[in-house]
Amino acid sequence: MDAALLRRALYRGSIAFAFLLMLAPVLTVVTISFFRQEIVSFPPEALTLRWYVNAWSQQEFARGFITSLEVAALATLIGVPLGTAAALALQRSGIRGKEALNALLLGPLAVPGVVAGTALYMFYLRAEFWLDRDITATLEGLVAAHVLLTIPWSVRLVSASLAGLDRSAEEAAANLGARPLTVFWRVTLPMMRPGIVAAALFSFIQSFENLELTLLLVGPGRTTLPVAMLSYLEFRMDPTLSAVATVQIVLVAALMLLTDRFVKLSRVV
Amino acid sequence: MAALILPAGLLVVALMVAPMLLLARISLNQFSPTEMMVEAMSAENYLRAVQDPYYRSVLLTTMAVALGCTLLCLVLGFPTAYWLARMQSRWKSLATILILFPLLVGNVVRSAGWIALLGNDGAINAALQGLHLTDAPLPLLYNAFAVVVGIVAVVLPYMILTLSAVIEGIPRQAEEAAANLGARPLTAFRRVVLPLAIPGVAAGSVLVFILCMNAYATPVLLGGPQFKMMAPAVYDQFVRGNNWPFGASLAFILLFVTMVLTLVGSALIGRRYRR
Repeated sequence: MDAALLRRALYRGSIAFAFLLMLAPVLTVVTISFFRQEIVSFPPEALTLRWYVNAWSQQEFARGFITSLEVAALATLIGVPLGTAAALALQRSGIRGKEALNALLLGPLAVPGVVAGTALYMFYLRAEFWLDRDITATLEGLVAAHVLLTIPWSVRLVSASLAGLDRSAEEAAANLGARPLTVFWRVTLPMMRPGIVAAALFSFIQSFENLELTLLLVGPGRTTLPVAMLSYLEFRMDPTLSAVATVQIVLVAALMLLTDRFVKLSRVV
Repeated sequence: MAALILPAGLLVVALMVAPMLLLARISLNQFSPTEMMVEAMSAENYLRAVQDPYYRSVLLTTMAVALGCTLLCLVLGFPTAYWLARMQSRWKSLATILILFPLLVGNVVRSAGWIALLGNDGAINAALQGLHLTDAPLPLLYNAFAVVVGIVAVVLPYMILTLSAVIEGIPRQAEEAAANLGARPLTAFRRVVLPLAIPGVAAGSVLVFILCMNAYATPVLLGGPQFKMMAPAVYDQFVRGNNWPFGASLAFILLFVTMVLTLVGSALIGRRYRR
């Protein structure tokens, strides 16, 4: 009896501990963004919202936030259509070497960020020399790098949604005389919509919070939010940073809840 | 229709395959203080990385942290994965979102949270001193402990979600049959659930191990100046050292060691439970 009790306590205890480990840092960041004192200490002297104002008035955070939004939006706009097209080719065209092509397209997810990041940095420097123009620390350079995140995630999510589609509706449309393009436009595409929306939201989040791939590609005046936060945190942790982090947390949470309405998030990772 | 794959495929080749080939080529070049880099075909960067006691210890630290974090994740993640897999109420979706959420928030934000929790003025030390359990703050931050805690928290969601997807596929009847035949819960777990969950254990451990080996933000922010892991060491060569060939060779050593250990590890797990 005692053994059973102990076992149950251990089981529940480790579940609670796992959730604590995962959520405690996030909740702490949100909490201290409301503390009044400038040096983080517990308990709070009073609560305030002024760090949010302060965060926005700091150039590096405001600019970083805008750059991250731009990069994530553009990389999503490019990556999702290309990824969707590739997923269609992979799932529907009976293309040869399907496995290898799939591995290539998902490759950027398998290559560690450190390796891909440094490789891309060297490649950009070489390309700058050939083309005689700036690539690192430009919007184009960052977007090109982040397309490496949005393409594989789109291929993965759209492929998953295509694989689960019932083809009889498409066949019915074709039998009733619809031309292939009409079938695609009026039947297939609408059925793919949940997968595409999920791909867009997930791509956006992955791009917005990426650090490793971006780290060497930023420069003065063009930094993404995670990189700006990292360089700030290497020197100090204060409520201003928490406020910035909280904004990011709220943004991610909102996008996640939105995504969950279209696809079961447990199927995504 | 097959042509639809071209734009995405060409972009990945141009932005990932080509840069990695270039990086591999650069790793064979030589460093020169005056010209930065001299074209060469030599393995000296690799030899230096393997022979230099400093980089050897960085690599060993990285491997030890990655192995330890993977095992901790497995032990901590299994109960939660089992709980999630066997959950049937409408809360399951909420639990999944709660596990996935920290994953998407990003490492930098979570490291900030750990700094606020573990620091000398942090929440844990404030609580301990407030309760008069300790007189001076415990050194919880800027050491290996903080890095392990931080990394485990970062990768735990991956382990839980991978494991629980596999456990969900194990029929409940298998467990019930074991119980009906008189197996005690622990025996049933060890003889029925665990062997059937081995594909999940292998997949989760491999994924988590790779992420740990390549951890960047957590060791930089929580480890302090004395603590070095491979990924920050690679970036240092590019940002501070300007020794690109050496940095490139470090990157490939990290990639290679990770791959070898991953293969050995999954072979071992596979053989242990094949019978």
